[in-house]
Amino acid sequence: MAYLNVDEITSALQNLAAAYPATTELITCPHPTHEGRQTQVLRIGTRPASEVDGVLLLGGVHAREWVPPDALVLLAADLLEAHGKSKGLRYGEQRFSATDVQEILARLNLFVFACVNPDGRRHSQAGDPLWRKNRRQNNGGGDCVGVDLNRNFDFLWDHLARFAADSGVRTTADPCDKFTYRGPAAASEPETRNVVWVLDTYPRIRWHVDVHSAVPVILHSWGSDRNQTLDPGQNFLASAFDPVRGRPNDNAYREYITEDDLDLVTGLAGRMGEAVRAVRGDDYPVEQAYGLYPTSGASDDYAYSRHFANPAQGKVYGFTIECGHSFQPTWAEAEDVIREVGAGLTALCAAVTRLSPEPGQVPSPAAVSGTSPTSRRAPGEAETLA
Amino acid sequence: MTADDPVLRVRLEAATLAELRSFTDEVDADLGCRAIATRSASGYAIDVHLPESRLESARGSRAATPVSMTVVENATATGLERQAEVAEGNRYAARGEVPRGLGSKE
Repeated sequence: MAYLNVDEITSALQNLAAAYPATTELITCPHPTHEGRQTQVLRIGTRPASEVDGVLLLGGVHAREWVPPDALVLLAADLLEAHGKSKGLRYGEQRFSATDVQEILARLNLFVFACVNPDGRRHSQAGDPLWRKNRRQNNGGGDCVGVDLNRNFDFLWDHLARFAADSGVRTTADPCDKFTYRGPAAASEPETRNVVWVLDTYPRIRWHVDVHSAVPVILHSWGSDRNQTLDPGQNFLASAFDPVRGRPNDNAYREYITEDDLDLVTGLAGRMGEAVRAVRGDDYPVEQAYGLYPTSGASDDYAYSRHFANPAQGKVYGFTIECGHSFQPTWAEAEDVIREVGAGLTALCAAVTRLSPEPGQVPSPAAVSGTSPTSRRAPGEAETLA
Repeated sequence: MTADDPVLRVRLEAATLAELRSFTDEVDADLGCRAIATRSASGYAIDVHLPESRLESARGSRAATPVSMTVVENATATGLERQAEVAEGNRYAARGEVPRGLGSKE
């Protein structure tokens, strides 16, 4: 085996759709990339997209992280084959029964967007291996190429206006920056708009996992500041907090999340971590996405922010998995990381099938409350306001 | 990245997050996707990417004293080597060639 190249990812998804017509739909995204590539999403499930909740899985947002697209294609292949043969799935010591697999495909739709940024992946695999961004030709010319897609989503995108000047938010307005250029506008990039389009077009999507590498770690909301659960007024929409947002170790501003949502996301992230550990003993700890610094414009925060910004939109819980220990492990090592990602994501899907309404039922916010989290909340996380 | 100035993956470790952050505030390193430090035996650790030409100046920075720096690998060389492990052609060009996952179906 070897890493999938960009053409193979396209063909692999097409062939899976052809081989499993009753349980898949190949969805073509509307916005071609800067180099003219059309990306596709493989929907997996036995029910129409309007009847059951959805899980959106993203890979390849950052070009140099080679494992996630392969992991998502092979997870799709695993689930479809196991479902078709009425078999269970095993990754290392993590086992999922045949019933688990049947339930996942009957009660959910998985939207597998295996390679969001094929132009960047092509450049990383055939040119500069550490290339991270897409391939937009920026106005600066010369070497000023690319936008960091995971800083381009419409969540506190304008970091110069929306964060404290000393927050250290990890993005830049410099189009010549090699790593974290945010782009000329929020959702300026076709790759970003394709993800937004999927979320807009399939409003039953309730779960969003952006698979990156490497740390490893499993991240949950928020990435903009430390969490708090007491003051709904302290949230990303409130511009009064722009001068203080993102600073570490202060109480002037923290990002609001409800206690129920925090319990839910830490519990589900913990379940993913347990499944990963069962594969070969590696530890993917659970952390809030606010690490050493805040981030703006990330896909997981954007997904979860949508219902705050527009209450008419359904709530989408956002996660990021940073898989493995390096961007480009040997293929032999990559295979084990792929198993870990498969185990973690299958565990998430199995868990959320139990939270999802019966097929055809309208989703209710109460359907996701009152879960029993296997919380591994980090010390100091979600501290109450002083 | 140039052949003459490869990018190194460097592990930073410090007793506190504040020490790590002071260092990364001063040294403009590539912190990966989300700048997440994890717990380590000596406190906290994070892998960063840094051009080789800036390694010594990073070691000499004011905030470097409480931070240990360990070069893990030459990431440029590793990446170029790994490009040989990217498939050539298209293994799925034929319609009937369906990928199989790595999980055991049982």
